Amino acid sequence: MRRFVPIALGLLLALALTFETTLTPGAAQEAKAQKLVFASAGFEDSNRFWMVSRPDHLQYDPFLETLLEVDPKTGEYTARLAEKWQASPDYKEWTFTLRKGVPFHFGYGQFTAKDVVHSHALMMRQEATATLVGFWRQVDEVKVVNDHQVVFRFKRPTTVMPYAASRAGDLRIVSKAQWDKEGLEGFDKRPAGTGSYRYVGRQPGLSITFERVDNHYRGEKPAFKELEFRLAREESTRLALILSGEAQIADLPRELQKDALKRGMKIYTSSFPVDWMTVYLGGLYFLPGDTAFKPDVAWTKKPVRQALNVAINRKELLNTVFAGKGTPTYVTGWSAQSEGYNPEWASRFDQMYGYNPGKAKALLKEAGYGPGQLKFKILAFTEPGESEGPQVAEALGIYYKDVGVETEIEVLDWAKVREMFRKKTIGCCIWPNIISWRPAEEWIRISNHSKGPNHHYENEFIEKTYLAWAAAVNPGERQRLARAVADHLFEEFADIPLFWFANEVVANPKVVGEWVYPGLGAGRSTHFHLIKAAK
Amino acid sequence: MATVTARALPWYAPPRVARALRQVRRYPVVALSLLMFLLVIPAVLAPLVSPYDPLKGSLAKRLKPPVWQQGGTIEHPLGTDKLGRDILSRMIYGARVSLMVSLVAIFVGGSVGTGLGLMSGYFGGKTDALIMRLVDISLSLPTILLALVLVAAVGPSFGTVITVLVVLLWARYARLVRGETLSIKERDFIARARVAGASHSRIMTRYIFPNVVNSLIVLATLQVGYVILLESALSFLGAGLPRPTPAWGLMIADGRELIVTAWWVSLFPGLAIMLTVLSLNLLGDWLRDHLDPKLRHV
Amino acid sequence: MQRFIARRFLQSLLAIWVMSLIVFTLARVTGNPLDVMLPLEAGPEEYERVSKYWGLDQPLYIQYAIFLSKAVRGDFGSSWKWHGHSAMGLVRQRLPATLQLAGFALFISIALALPIGVLAAVKKGTAWDSVAKIIALLGQSLPGFWLGIVLMWIFAVHLGWFPTSGRGGIQYMILPAITLGWFQVAAIMRLVRSSMLEVLDSEFVKLTRIKGVPEWKVVWKHCLRNASIAPLTFFAIIAGVLMTGSVVTESVFSWPGTGLLVVDAVRARDFQVVQAVVIVFAGIFILTNLLVDILYAYLDPRIRYQ
Repeated sequence: MRRFVPIALGLLLALALTFETTLTPGAAQEAKAQKLVFASAGFEDSNRFWMVSRPDHLQYDPFLETLLEVDPKTGEYTARLAEKWQASPDYKEWTFTLRKGVPFHFGYGQFTAKDVVHSHALMMRQEATATLVGFWRQVDEVKVVNDHQVVFRFKRPTTVMPYAASRAGDLRIVSKAQWDKEGLEGFDKRPAGTGSYRYVGRQPGLSITFERVDNHYRGEKPAFKELEFRLAREESTRLALILSGEAQIADLPRELQKDALKRGMKIYTSSFPVDWMTVYLGGLYFLPGDTAFKPDVAWTKKPVRQALNVAINRKELLNTVFAGKGTPTYVTGWSAQSEGYNPEWASRFDQMYGYNPGKAKALLKEAGYGPGQLKFKILAFTEPGESEGPQVAEALGIYYKDVGVETEIEVLDWAKVREMFRKKTIGCCIWPNIISWRPAEEWIRISNHSKGPNHHYENEFIEKTYLAWAAAVNPGERQRLARAVADHLFEEFADIPLFWFANEVVANPKVVGEWVYPGLGAGRSTHFHLIKAAK
Repeated sequence: MATVTARALPWYAPPRVARALRQVRRYPVVALSLLMFLLVIPAVLAPLVSPYDPLKGSLAKRLKPPVWQQGGTIEHPLGTDKLGRDILSRMIYGARVSLMVSLVAIFVGGSVGTGLGLMSGYFGGKTDALIMRLVDISLSLPTILLALVLVAAVGPSFGTVITVLVVLLWARYARLVRGETLSIKERDFIARARVAGASHSRIMTRYIFPNVVNSLIVLATLQVGYVILLESALSFLGAGLPRPTPAWGLMIADGRELIVTAWWVSLFPGLAIMLTVLSLNLLGDWLRDHLDPKLRHV
Repeated sequence: MQRFIARRFLQSLLAIWVMSLIVFTLARVTGNPLDVMLPLEAGPEEYERVSKYWGLDQPLYIQYAIFLSKAVRGDFGSSWKWHGHSAMGLVRQRLPATLQLAGFALFISIALALPIGVLAAVKKGTAWDSVAKIIALLGQSLPGFWLGIVLMWIFAVHLGWFPTSGRGGIQYMILPAITLGWFQVAAIMRLVRSSMLEVLDSEFVKLTRIKGVPEWKVVWKHCLRNASIAPLTFFAIIAGVLMTGSVVTESVFSWPGTGLLVVDAVRARDFQVVQAVVIVFAGIFILTNLLVDILYAYLDPRIRYQ
């Protein structure tokens, strides 16, 4: 009898653990006709938007709004919580005229200038790590002129403010009244916003749910009463979710899109290209006196850089790894929407960067690298939702092998690679990376500027021109300077630009009708209120 | 010619074949042949047997299905992967990698474990207590977690994977050998050796160790399969061998998102792992039953 | 007996402490968490500011001292990735999910292994025995994540019998539990089989048969009881294996447990959470082992005097 006890206890324990119900089976309900479920690759799940990076602001898009909107069709910044905005002549002060009659969720009163000050103050907290925190810290003062007018005063002139204050940025406007009453804890539990959806709750690690608000101040009326973002890090799980009907929209990698399409799903593409992929070259620190510069790094010589470019068959790479879905990047960081974009690049690209293995070999020989003499590492890493890095690295390895260049692929994690190009210790290697669109000036500031956080291709010309560009306020002057920087990067083969990608999500056409979204909004998939129900 | 048979032979088996079958049934034929075919022969003869270079692929030929599907060709009987590399070749070389990883890990882990186990069992006292605590600690280390953290620290490489595996494997050997040593060391012949003036190390290596070998063999065989599975799990989590090594685990991880569309990329290496580990387990079981029935608890 | 318990308990504490040291060092060796926390735009001032906020600018031994002093009180600090949650809070939040899955998987393995093991023992040497062995061994030979994905595909998508992922009622647990539990079936089955074989041969069973007790009663009522003691040690090992094996399964099925938590934490270099999870896991495992050892010592007095 005594010996029977252990196994009985064991079984009982197992059964008890099985039927424990600490978590509400909220996510277990079948998808109601009125509910829209979006299967996402994942985001940092937290309500503290001042600590969350821009792509993960996807989770705030339905219920927390920004001062300016991004037009889903044109990409322009239009009115949202702010009706009018204007810069002072020296571009150091930005005045926003706020909309009247905007209620916060859950009865926290009307939206006023105090809420803007409060929201900005959240960005100034010591632990704040949102994408544009560095920018928000440039603000000297946020002055309340009256209940519906607020002025941001900056230390330096800036033209980037509309971007930062828009749906593409991360300044979410939340209620000061709620904060005063409930503090951080209350905010964590149920943040009040102004969007056409309001926050219902989260299941940590699993999902976040919203419900539709009636009488939105701008008249937004979402077609779906309930909206849920489900976190599913595995790609095949997301595919399974949408094929089984548990989710109606899913963020799928290109490979799996084919299969979804075969089973009747449809792809919804953003109006604009959102991310670009480039292979960056380390060690290009040409500023005089830069000790990190090592002349034995092969691609400090321009012919080698060009060779590395022309050895790649971009068309084939696009078709095989990205299922043909992408448009060319001519200069890293520049899309047709960017300041200083030069249409001439398109026509000259083939001649300068086009696939030509013979030319590559010749250029390498000219630079003193015979077959098998050039060896370097390609660094690769994956992020949830972006699994193509290692594939591209391996493909590059194959192209380079064809022209006599030996490569070794090292898969690291993103943070390590980043540390290397921050500290300028990446002269050994090249690495593909996907970055999302930001204003060109911002991109240059953070990547090609000696005082910026990261260091890719730097030299005197870029440095000088960038500083002038950053200080310039005349639009014509800015265009000229921006173009000068971009042209220089183009001519010098500063890196290996590859493709621009639009954001693509797969949705079930039986449930989801039309959906137009720009892609440039923080979180890429935005404007859920514009999703129309299928007939 | 009357040999008592335990089972009736099929009516169609002629007498000579019948006798041969009886002999053969004594050995785990199925397991052994699977093993040879799937693991040993490809591993040893890889460069001769493999139709293509496992590292070279052509993007134009990516994701071709196996030969019996529509769109497949005889040139790539098991299809190609995401980068156009031949799956069959990668599987053949994968056998080599799997075998190498497991053999090295088990050899190193087993040696360390055996050595420590011998010392622990033989010397007893404080040494024993210390080593057993180490064993406890090492067995309590959450396997996968340790691997993740270690690989995140130093990056995936052959050496890192081996280190992780060794750290995870040695304790079992130590425990086993210690147990055996404890029972062996009380035996007469050991006492005699000691009286004859044999040194401690000599006793351990010449007298105790040979009696422990049987159990070690069983444990090692059983562990090869476990190690192969562990390596594939580590690769799945991104903490395994570095790309573009043709390792079975890595191949499954690569084809993970394609499991519906291009199922062959993951299926075949998965099958290879399954059959290899299965045959190793069968072999291990048979060895255990025939070499030393005491080892039921291994 | 008391001395034995005390000694083992102290040794367990030592083991846990060593674990904390290992994890602390390894976690910090993985690199600077700020590189994950901060956006591409962050310059040196941002690094300094956030580093100071989290106390990362202190020398390593001070960081360890602070960590240890808080850890003994159960405070593992705030998570760096899951803003607003404490590391221990996250573990506590996710642990029930993992335990639930592990419990159910254990239940399934036992439910499968028991009858198979008994059958194999009773019909020893026949085809049944071999079939049972192969079914069980199959489970031990399949890569877990592959099995999970295939099961999900067949049963959740094609057949639609179960949901594909997430947590809810019992139907959400079945596929992940099978994926997790099948691996153990072989080991448990083997144990049951060998224990049963020992008992089936014993004197007292022969006696029961002579007495005329029906065969099925002999097998199920008398033998099984006595065969149950060996699996006891197993619970400790299985508990550990199931909890860590759940990392892969939780990944595939998006089961919000501690396995998934730790993978995400390692990736995000969220040391606080990694430390919390690993130490809690190790703690549970070590203490379970301790309890089993004590129970064994209670049942078998010879062990106490080792």
